[in-house]
Amino acid sequence: MLGLSLQPVDFDLVAGLVRWALAFGVIAIVSIIVAIVTSFAMYGAVGPARVGAGLGQAVRDFTSISARRVLAISSLTFKEAIRRKALLVFVVFGVLFMFASWFLTGDSNRPELDVEVYVGFVFTAVSWLVLPVAMLLACWGIPEDIRVRSLHTVVTKPARRNEVVIGRMLGFSAISTLIVAVMGVVGYVWIVRQVPDSVPLICRVPIYGNIQFLDRTGAEGKGVNVGDIVEIRQFVEGGSKAAAIWEFPMPAGEPEKLRLESRFEAFRTYKGDMNRTLRVRYTLLNPAKKIEVPLPVFNVAEFSQNELDVDRKVEFKNEKGKVETFDLYKDLITDGKLTVKVQCLDRGQYIGVSIGDFFVRQLPDRSFAFGYWKAMFGIWLMIILIVMIGVTASCFVKGPIATLLCFCMVVLGQPAHDFMDKVVSGKQVGGGALESVYRLVTQMNQTVPLPEGGLATAIQTLDRVPSETLRLASNVIPDLRSFWMAGWVGKGLDVPWAGALLPSIAVTLGFALPCILLGYFSLILRELEAK
Amino acid sequence: MSAEPVIQIRNLTKIYRDFWGRKKVRALNSLSLDVYRGEVFGLLGPNGSGKTTTMKLLLGLLFPTEGDITILGRPATDVGKNEKIGYLPEESYLYRFLNADETLDFYGRLFDMPAAERKRRTDELIKEVDIEHARRRQLKEYSKGMTRRIGLAQALINNPDLVLLDEPTSGLDPQGSRFMKDLILKLKAQGKTVVMSSHLLADVQDVCDRIAILYGGELKELGRVDELLKEQGVTQIRTDKLTPEAIAEVEAVLAKHNAKVQSVDHPTNSLEELFLKTIRRSQERPGQRYVPEGADAAKPPQS
Repeated sequence: MLGLSLQPVDFDLVAGLVRWALAFGVIAIVSIIVAIVTSFAMYGAVGPARVGAGLGQAVRDFTSISARRVLAISSLTFKEAIRRKALLVFVVFGVLFMFASWFLTGDSNRPELDVEVYVGFVFTAVSWLVLPVAMLLACWGIPEDIRVRSLHTVVTKPARRNEVVIGRMLGFSAISTLIVAVMGVVGYVWIVRQVPDSVPLICRVPIYGNIQFLDRTGAEGKGVNVGDIVEIRQFVEGGSKAAAIWEFPMPAGEPEKLRLESRFEAFRTYKGDMNRTLRVRYTLLNPAKKIEVPLPVFNVAEFSQNELDVDRKVEFKNEKGKVETFDLYKDLITDGKLTVKVQCLDRGQYIGVSIGDFFVRQLPDRSFAFGYWKAMFGIWLMIILIVMIGVTASCFVKGPIATLLCFCMVVLGQPAHDFMDKVVSGKQVGGGALESVYRLVTQMNQTVPLPEGGLATAIQTLDRVPSETLRLASNVIPDLRSFWMAGWVGKGLDVPWAGALLPSIAVTLGFALPCILLGYFSLILRELEAK
Repeated sequence: MSAEPVIQIRNLTKIYRDFWGRKKVRALNSLSLDVYRGEVFGLLGPNGSGKTTTMKLLLGLLFPTEGDITILGRPATDVGKNEKIGYLPEESYLYRFLNADETLDFYGRLFDMPAAERKRRTDELIKEVDIEHARRRQLKEYSKGMTRRIGLAQALINNPDLVLLDEPTSGLDPQGSRFMKDLILKLKAQGKTVVMSSHLLADVQDVCDRIAILYGGELKELGRVDELLKEQGVTQIRTDKLTPEAIAEVEAVLAKHNAKVQSVDHPTNSLEELFLKTIRRSQERPGQRYVPEGADAAKPPQS
């Protein structure tokens, strides 16, 4: 069964950029207003002028960055990390890999599952070893520099504070990159040696599509909720007009054969013959030309893939028994899209489907290394992001606090994202904080709407304050869900660009500018020698 | 020495505050002084008098509570001024995991110097501060004297116009101290301006043209070293050796003995005497400070 994290939800770059610009803009404007008010309170009428001068200085500093100075600071950081024995992490890594095979090698009847275990182990080991090292280095570098006053000898040279921040970030990123690269190579070799020859290490390249459902009457609707705790799947009722319809964007080119691959879940409402699996049928559709081409019925292979090859020339017998032939590319794919209807044929039984359960598999497959290094790139991006956050935090608080802040944002903040998303989007059952309190006090069921009136309006209006605060927090706390790409590799799948790589790159880049700016202003506004 | 002020300090006040913004220490109170191009200027004072605070305010490591600082025509917070400044901190806060070559190369890169120039300058300075034998050793293995030498070398990597030395001879043995003073005089001879803070009076007396004495964060004395050391109320006449009879008659009428007068001058205190006297006076009359009289305070001394 595909895990929850493997649902290929394409990242909307434009919407992401708009969201970033809004969050960045709001925070920037609020910060400037606070700065003006504070400086006015402290210095009187010249205060706002000082803020203006500071912003002008910032513009000058950012437009006159010296690559040589940045590289000097980053290479110093790199040397410093090495001489502080950051590379000792390899010893722990080595020990882990020396003994891992004792515990991970099993006599599974399904050796293909071992790949998932090995891949999961490698990625978990790399991330759990490198992340704390990167976090500690990043969070303690600048505070330690300030404590022993080495930074004084840097900032009394023409080095600008933004160069210090960027140089530190690059230096810690470089050492983390080295560690990830070496561990990645070792991990790859280890996986290749561990996996039995009978199990192919491949990287299947899926083309995912959009999904919609028809209900049992054939009208557009939703799938059935059978009470599965995994809400990601909807169920298609067998022996009815209920269906799941996928629309796949097809790449250029016209290969002689298309491979359709699926992995559906079966849900039975009666026992029947337990040795017989559910029957499923694909139907190729061309809604514009009103063509429907049913493909041969097959039995669902539960817990593994169903593969069905479709030739360029597709033949089937129509209701009158006459054989009809269609060209896959001329008759069935229109506007670069292939539409496939999936139905369960057994009455009273259901198949559970989600958007990632069915895809067109691009042939030939890619090498396992291709997907592996893409996923390792995800780990690397996560580490870079943590380095940026750590360095930024270390510019305004001391090492221990910076570490705690970074830890909270990166580790503790992740489980909170789902909750925050629900509250912010209004999907949280039971409403916001005040509404929840009201429901608790009045013992009102959370699914019952609040009674209409002034009280409900007041509660919901007041609830917007924490809700909007949470919206800001959900933008400030990085969402790392897309960065963990090992699941794809473990399943032998390619890491999707729009579903995993693009959002991870976007989140990392999205944090870069605010982190650098916050680090810069934190350093420029603080007295390095303050007692 | 020219009349061009390299540093202008006006009514500089620094108050350290606690976390809640309450006043904790008034480290500097209305300090005004100028430093001119080409002179060696000394900031003197006991511990806690405000010397290092002044130095750090000059470098932008601290922000003034009140007052203005202009260095080389720019505000103290302007990073651009650092292009022509060399700074030797009180302790050598260099990166201890680097060796001498790496240290000078690193600081040279901060000045955006090309690789060839950094190499040339590194070789020159390592030779000048005489640590060639230890250039490949990490600084954590250096003695105090060697650390001060490499510290001085990094301060000079950019061939600065203005050199700020915070307690340059502190902790050095006599040989190291002599080396440092010779180097300061050499910098002066090259036309550089040197500002040094110290409480080692003999060192200051040896090398400084002018000094400012700080006590309790206030300026108590400012002027040329030789002027300040003169005893203004006494006249000293130096003669050839006299016979006992002549000496007896000197008290009556000096001129009648027709002695050849070699020099007539004010006797001088040692700087130590002046310093202690100033501190004692400050303690007796708290609140009284030296206020430069407008432009006179900024007037360059006649050399």
